Amino acid sequence: MSGGVYGGDEVGALVFDAGSYSTRAGYAGEDSPKAEIPTAVGALENKELESLDIDGLGAPPSIRDGAKKKYIIDVNSLGVPRAGMEMGNPLKDGMVDDWDMFGALLDHIYKRYIQSDSAEHPVLMSEPPWNTRHKREKLTEVMFEKYSIPAFFLCKNAVQTAFANIRSTGLVIDSGATHTTATPVHEGYVLQQGIVKSPLAGDFVTMQCKELFDEMKIEVVPPYLIASKEVVKEGAPANFKRKEVPQVTKSWHSYRVKQVLQDFQITALQVADTPYEPDAADQLPTVLYDFPNGYHQEFAEERVRIPEGLFDISHVKGFEGNTMLGVGHVASTSIGLLDADIRAAMYSNVIVTGGNTLLSGFIDRLQRELQNKAPQNMRLKIIAPSGTTERRFSAWIGGSILASLGTFQQMWISRQEYEEAGKSCVERKCP
Amino acid sequence: MADVRDILEWDVDVQAEPGSAPSSSVSTGGDSAAQQMRKKDEIIGSHASDKKQRSRKSQEPTFKRPEGMHREVYALLYSDKKDPPPLIPSDTNKGYKQMKAKLGRSKVRPWKRMPFTNPARKDGAVFHHWRRVADEGKDYPFARFNKEVSIPLYTSQEYQLHLHDEKWTKQATDHLFDLCNRFDLRWVVVHDRFDYASYGRRSIEDMKERYYNIINKLAKARADPNLSNRAAQVYDAEHERKRKEQLLRLFNRTQEQVEEEEMLIAELKKIELRKKEREKKTQDLQKLITAADNNAELRRTERKITKKKIQLPQSKSRKELEGSSKQILETGGIKFPDFKQSGVYLRSQKMKLPSSVGQKKTKAIEHLLDELGIPIQPMPTEDICQLYNELRSDMVLLYELKLAHANCEFELQTLRHRYEALAPGKLPSSALSLNQQPPPTAEEDAEATPTLGEEGVDVKMEDSSDDQSSKNKKVSEIIDVVTTSPSTPRKRRTAIEQSNMMKKLKK
Repeated sequence: MSGGVYGGDEVGALVFDAGSYSTRAGYAGEDSPKAEIPTAVGALENKELESLDIDGLGAPPSIRDGAKKKYIIDVNSLGVPRAGMEMGNPLKDGMVDDWDMFGALLDHIYKRYIQSDSAEHPVLMSEPPWNTRHKREKLTEVMFEKYSIPAFFLCKNAVQTAFANIRSTGLVIDSGATHTTATPVHEGYVLQQGIVKSPLAGDFVTMQCKELFDEMKIEVVPPYLIASKEVVKEGAPANFKRKEVPQVTKSWHSYRVKQVLQDFQITALQVADTPYEPDAADQLPTVLYDFPNGYHQEFAEERVRIPEGLFDISHVKGFEGNTMLGVGHVASTSIGLLDADIRAAMYSNVIVTGGNTLLSGFIDRLQRELQNKAPQNMRLKIIAPSGTTERRFSAWIGGSILASLGTFQQMWISRQEYEEAGKSCVERKCP
Repeated sequence: MADVRDILEWDVDVQAEPGSAPSSSVSTGGDSAAQQMRKKDEIIGSHASDKKQRSRKSQEPTFKRPEGMHREVYALLYSDKKDPPPLIPSDTNKGYKQMKAKLGRSKVRPWKRMPFTNPARKDGAVFHHWRRVADEGKDYPFARFNKEVSIPLYTSQEYQLHLHDEKWTKQATDHLFDLCNRFDLRWVVVHDRFDYASYGRRSIEDMKERYYNIINKLAKARADPNLSNRAAQVYDAEHERKRKEQLLRLFNRTQEQVEEEEMLIAELKKIELRKKEREKKTQDLQKLITAADNNAELRRTERKITKKKIQLPQSKSRKELEGSSKQILETGGIKFPDFKQSGVYLRSQKMKLPSSVGQKKTKAIEHLLDELGIPIQPMPTEDICQLYNELRSDMVLLYELKLAHANCEFELQTLRHRYEALAPGKLPSSALSLNQQPPPTAEEDAEATPTLGEEGVDVKMEDSSDDQSSKNKKVSEIIDVVTTSPSTPRKRRTAIEQSNMMKKLKK
């Protein structure tokens, strides 16, 4: 403790933030997580018991010997084609669904990245604001019983994001992989009645890209299938040699294809400033994209057409007349559900987070949409950290700040409290 | 020192000087021998020949720099002039050594990872953190930030006696107070987390009303000073509800409504601006007319005065005249400046037109004077001066009145055209040309006003019933009509009065 100057007090706490795309973990008080690993987990039927140490560094094998299944975790191990490896995700709708898989993920993080006894570190974990009581209690139980941590706290990720942006009140718009949500936070508490969710997020854009390539008859070959490739002219069919790989599962293949598509998303896509118009879209500068197999082509109008679905679904093929809410609608609907007195505070503190918001032009468009929807003379301010790290990890960073505050140390559910009151104390202690 | 020595050509023995310690330390063995020689010279042959001095000088460079000493360092210690270094420090800095920041005066205070309990916690859980050894055993510094809102609790007996409410069951009230406690009276959060399934839908205002009522009732029932201090909290739920409703309405305005409001505000501003303009115009006119009136009136009285009281001393009457003429001149015509400066001046200067009279007016005066056959520079006797100035003042007044009249006429014409364009064939006969009509009285004028106003309304009604969708546009048009119509009678009246005035003047 360094005097009451900046109010920090380290107790060696760990911060976990599990998202549906990646899971972040690290020590509280640091500015970025120690580990960011994909939440997706590969599962092998446990036939062979050989220990595969792919991550190297002499770390313990990243494969956990379960009773029935072996779990393959982390970027490097997941990149290796294995026969019969099915891809799964421990989270569903942001909440922990497969406890076995989630346990394996936590084990891996503790062994590989924390490398310290779990009994010494209190744990702050994030959760989606709509987490159910049952799941919260189960998580509390797992952490105390399995990892015997000294103290635990569950915090809504929207609150953490707000804290990371030095605010205790604001509307948190989180556009991640599986969903886009607007969560109102008032003085550090989530207002449950105002949460609005929409499935239009990163995965939706990925799916649109996939459909686009199917339509254009471009085969997306993930890098694991490529042994060598030749330079070809633009638009000419790819000339490459296929690699001999074991018989991989469909889920793993699509996982790898998805990675290529996500790369395409990052490099090529752009959100238009104004609602989509084909004429204006044609004026856009083209972007050349190289596929892993050597095929390359320029993309122009598609660059803005695909992400347009995030804001206005009615233009997207197959979704005509669909009522799914675009990002701007999600935000304004959420604010519309709130008490009239706090709406102004929400409009002036719109906090944007999530990897999907890094699409270029996303913030500008959101600003525009909200400006149109906000009541007249309402001050609108969008707060979006400019750095990609801050944008992607803001929930973790908020947790890191929170857990290292001196005044927070009274909030933990301590081991004693857990033993006295049981797992149900989480409902009362962590609002 | 060196300067003095040079002037006196007097070589003081360096060692004899008590203050020049540093230079004395410099002089070493060989040097002292040379100095002794010098002493001798001074003692023996005070007027020693130049030769000897020269030889002494030639002796000096023989002192060699000790081996290993840098040239620069040597130059510092030993200069040709044998100047001792300055005795008083020339810079106030205490040398480079003192420039260093004073760091680490005390010992490093060690840190230690130690367990601690937080007094803000009720369970006495032990955490570990890094802390200075010196602070070991002290209270946890952040515990003092643990502030709690104290919410009074009621017993079930008290509830039975005082707090019964038709709309709230005891369970619901308990639940409310529990939430208030948990969320420290953050009403928005309490409202968010309230269990609506079991206790029914309630607004924030309902909850606040219930809470503050209970607090106030408890304060009364218990006569507890702590509570009665809070009793000042008066909560007007009805007012709050109304306020919120209005706020919601404000938020829920449609784009069209907002635009219409803005448009209306802009129109209102326009109307006000026009009104001001009009008022200013009429005021100007009024001024002119009253000025003309006064002038005529005064002329009459003046004549009487001069006729009757001609025997009065001239100076007094002149003063009076000057005073009255000043009155006139303030309201219209030319304002001739008073000559108040000392000294002698030509009387003809009194006839000089002040610079405030514009070029056009000057031209008009000249023209008129020419017409009347009056010389531009008449002989400046006192009377002529006076009369000439008055004449020109009247001329300007007349000119202004004519101008105003022309303006009014023009405006009347344009308005009539506009009126005809809007409601053809409906022009009231009273609104026809002014000059042919006998001057209408105030009553007639008053009658004319409502008719015009009514017609303006009629137009509006027809237009608005025409088409509902283009309401906004129509509204603006109507406003145009409405704004201009009330201006007409006033202008007319002034115009009429003016024409009367003209007639009077002609007489």
